[in-house]
Amino acid sequence: MLRYLAKRALTYAFMIFLTTTAGYFLAVNTLQPALLEQERIPRPTTEQVANSFRLKGLDPDLSPWERYVEWLTAIVTRWDWGRSPSGAFINAEFGDRVWISTRLFLASIILTLIIGIALGVYTAARQYKASDRVITSYSYLVYIVPAPIAYFLVQLGAININETVGERIFFVTGISTPGLEGDGWAQFVDMLAHYAVPTFAITIVGWGAYQIAQRQYLLDNVNADFVRTARAKGLTRNQAISRHALRVSFIPVAQSIAFTIPAIFAGGFFAEKIFAWHGVGSWSIDAIALQDVNAATATLAYGSVIFAIGAILADFATTLVDPRVRVQ
Amino acid sequence: MSHEMTASAESSELSASGLSTAERLRVAGLHAAGDAVLSVRDLNVRFNTENGVVHAVRGIDFDLHAGRTLGIVGESGSGKSVTSMAILGLLPDTAQVTGSVRLQGKELLGLSDKAMCRHRGNDIAMVFQDPLSSLTPVYTVGTQIIEALTVHNPAMSKQAKEARAVELLGMVGIPSPKDRLKAFPHEFSGGMRQRVMIAIAIANNPRVLIADEPTTALDVTIQAQVLEVLHTAQEETGAAVVMITHDLGVVAGMADDIMVMYAGKPVETGSVDDIYYNPRMPYTMGLLGAVPRVDVAEKTSLVPIEGIPPNLVHTPTGCSFAPRCPLAGDACLDGEPELWPVAGAGLDGGLQHKAACIKTDSLGGDVDVREVFRAPAVPVSHFDAIPRAERRTVLELREVRKHFPLMKGALIKRRIGTVKAVDGLSFDIREGECFSIVGESGCGKTTTLLEIMEFHKDQDGEVVIGGLSNKQAADARTKGAMRKELQMVFQDPTGALDPRFTVFEVLSEPLENAGMAKPQIRARIMELMELVGLQPDHVNRFPNQFSGGQRQRIGIARALAVNPKLVVLDEPVSALDVSVQAGVINLLDKLRAELGLSYLMVAHDLSVVRHISNRVAVMYLGKIVEIGDVDAVFDNPRHPYTRALLSAIPVPDPVLERTRERIILQGDLPSPLEAPKGCNFATRCPVFAALPAAKQEKCLTLEPALEAAAAPAPAAGYRAAGLPAAPAAPTDQHFACFYPDGELDADMLVVHESL
Repeated sequence: MLRYLAKRALTYAFMIFLTTTAGYFLAVNTLQPALLEQERIPRPTTEQVANSFRLKGLDPDLSPWERYVEWLTAIVTRWDWGRSPSGAFINAEFGDRVWISTRLFLASIILTLIIGIALGVYTAARQYKASDRVITSYSYLVYIVPAPIAYFLVQLGAININETVGERIFFVTGISTPGLEGDGWAQFVDMLAHYAVPTFAITIVGWGAYQIAQRQYLLDNVNADFVRTARAKGLTRNQAISRHALRVSFIPVAQSIAFTIPAIFAGGFFAEKIFAWHGVGSWSIDAIALQDVNAATATLAYGSVIFAIGAILADFATTLVDPRVRVQ
Repeated sequence: MSHEMTASAESSELSASGLSTAERLRVAGLHAAGDAVLSVRDLNVRFNTENGVVHAVRGIDFDLHAGRTLGIVGESGSGKSVTSMAILGLLPDTAQVTGSVRLQGKELLGLSDKAMCRHRGNDIAMVFQDPLSSLTPVYTVGTQIIEALTVHNPAMSKQAKEARAVELLGMVGIPSPKDRLKAFPHEFSGGMRQRVMIAIAIANNPRVLIADEPTTALDVTIQAQVLEVLHTAQEETGAAVVMITHDLGVVAGMADDIMVMYAGKPVETGSVDDIYYNPRMPYTMGLLGAVPRVDVAEKTSLVPIEGIPPNLVHTPTGCSFAPRCPLAGDACLDGEPELWPVAGAGLDGGLQHKAACIKTDSLGGDVDVREVFRAPAVPVSHFDAIPRAERRTVLELREVRKHFPLMKGALIKRRIGTVKAVDGLSFDIREGECFSIVGESGCGKTTTLLEIMEFHKDQDGEVVIGGLSNKQAADARTKGAMRKELQMVFQDPTGALDPRFTVFEVLSEPLENAGMAKPQIRARIMELMELVGLQPDHVNRFPNQFSGGQRQRIGIARALAVNPKLVVLDEPVSALDVSVQAGVINLLDKLRAELGLSYLMVAHDLSVVRHISNRVAVMYLGKIVEIGDVDAVFDNPRHPYTRALLSAIPVPDPVLERTRERIILQGDLPSPLEAPKGCNFATRCPVFAALPAAKQEKCLTLEPALEAAAAPAPAAGYRAAGLPAAPAAPTDQHFACFYPDGELDADMLVVHESL
């Protein structure tokens, strides 16, 4: 198993290198931070701009290949991912951003999975009954509604509650109240007040996909021959479904979970923007807007790593639940 | 309870129709025969569908006694599987089940799922048809057996359950059962999985065991093994067995009583001898006449039953078989006949011989079924008179090989072995003859066909079709000429026809391809429809408007469109019901005689092969182990594998089945990687197993070549070791075995004389 993981990790490392390299060349050829500098007042001369960039390792006069070699050497030898045109160090900012994104999504992912799969099983067992129709219709609805709109609606709802009560219970944006004084309890309550709205919003639009998938896969297996065998052994229909059909139906779901978790970590632009949690997702968008070659490449590399982990997790999850898959 | 109300309602209805009081009580389920473990009374199943209420099972009665076996025989859609599911309470909630099912006197119908669970798997158990999908793929075999024990014996200790599971696996003949307990279903072959299913079913020593087509999905040699296991299981548990099948051969040797079902209703019941030797219902007679016999050399036409079973959405107003029955008269359309006791039939412990036909008494044993069903005369081809050697060769294979490399590894592939799917095949087919290839799945039959259809010069070996060799087939024109000589009919008639093409389009495509003009195409299609026995005015219909047998006729018409010399038949009747199959076989026979066609047929059903073929080749692991005239090979098989294969086929003749000696091969077809060096068959060979070690060495190291068999000596039987008494003339029969006369291993021989 370990050997297999090592082998897979090596393959993915190579693929990450390829995507990152391609991304770097794309960024270095299209992003022109010098143009933005021209909008400053007073307007700096071209030499000034070039000089300032040269000091930050972003020399516009070098060829893309030379810059690539320089950039790659820094990473390999010093684990230095370079600087932004503003002068900020990518490494320093990166850690903060990843932590923020993780905090924003961790709770909602866990809730999404638990609720989605539980509802999927529940509705499959009650196919075409009222509860199934309501829940499944809801899932299709959130499939259709764009996530940002749902987020705004939740924000509006939270604001409404605040206004009705006449006190600010929920914070609809931000991570914490700046300059909050007080003991641990006050800090904790403040965190909850900030956490509640985004977590709620992301969860209620997230579970739909899992509910639909789990319901569908389970229904495919409810009438399988092996469930009939289990019933012929003397299990009740519900026992047969929960012991035999459920685990088989979970195989494809487990795989999709492993793949989508990383996608959420790396790509929650909308949630991060709307709730003003400045994580990796919003950073990657900002980097492109600010013509920031190094930041854009770094977010891309992060995304690739996260996807590779997802792929390995998916393999791992499959071997865990399905004995037919052998690891070689 | 609803079923009781229905039962009483039905009984009052029946009393009006004039049944005796005892009969009425019996129907109402109040008077179950004393010691029956399972008694079913007036079982009815209805399904609500979009087209209306389908009355799938219409009034089934039977009593089953401990240790006895009831065979329920019928074609697809006759309601036999629905009956078994209804008894077990496994039908979906939408099904309406009425009547009475009593297990040891206790009513089962109307029990809740939970209450029913105390019986299912405990005193009534079931073995299903498809072993590949009937076991949960994610649990070990041991877990699944132990689950059956846990459900009904919660107090049983873990060790005791494990010990019992090992015992069960041993009982059903799984080698090293202790280790195999931890194996997953996908690590077992189909036959092994069916053994596991049987182990699960008998885990709690059920009183009743229902087997629904338990061997239909398996090869004949494996079928013989599984039937043997079922036999043992019944002996061990003393259970009553309900055996559901469409194969009259399978039940002949196993069943004590038979119930023949048609259109959801039993149409004839009786002891196995009554049904096979003295059938009184035309349908039963037809079914028995429709099955070709593997043990009979004399060629007679099969009995075709025209038409299709009725749609059960409409309640039949007359006899449901009347539209297909050659004897039907006006009286048959007036009310559906009940099961009447056959005159002179006694009650000998089992089911009374009854038939649902108003003409029962006029259908004695001396009625010739072939005459009744107007079976066509045996067609005679003008080639039959010409000696084989003087006929033209239409297809010749010389040393054809197809090896597939077995690779391992993801990025860098390593070759870890070779699958010799076809390994040096040589044979020829002459004009007007039918040549068949038989063997278990995985022996290379289909690959052989694909190689013949390939027409590529880089093939390993030479394929000569109508004088054109694949070595010359470089240009499209030669290939086109070769294709015209040779056409194919496929196994699944539904899958082989484009559902969006009308029959006309299906048939015109090959003709257009051959460059025929429009008006001629039309005329040719009408001719073809007539030829295969379809109505010419049906050409504008789509395939889904035809029955399975008719679709296969369309497939045959398509193959014949371009006037080929040779037609390749890939399991042409295996997807069809017995009664329909007979019609298609007769058609193939007729076409061969009338058009002077040659056939190359691949089939797993040796009875069909014997019936239709002139010559036969037996394949094992890519090689021909025996080849020759079909009667010579079937009557005097020389290779141990041929002998085993033939002995594995159940014959629809109860007396013969009960007394004959069977060779039960051990294990499955070996994987290509484990194929032995010398004779491929050594690992399973009954002769090899009985040989002294010194002689075994030869089988393991040397590969036997195909050698001509001597003509069977008239009286001497098997020659003693040493020289043959007289140098007999070599025959057409060839086989590849060093010790064809060797003694068979006693462990692989089974005789059921006691039955």
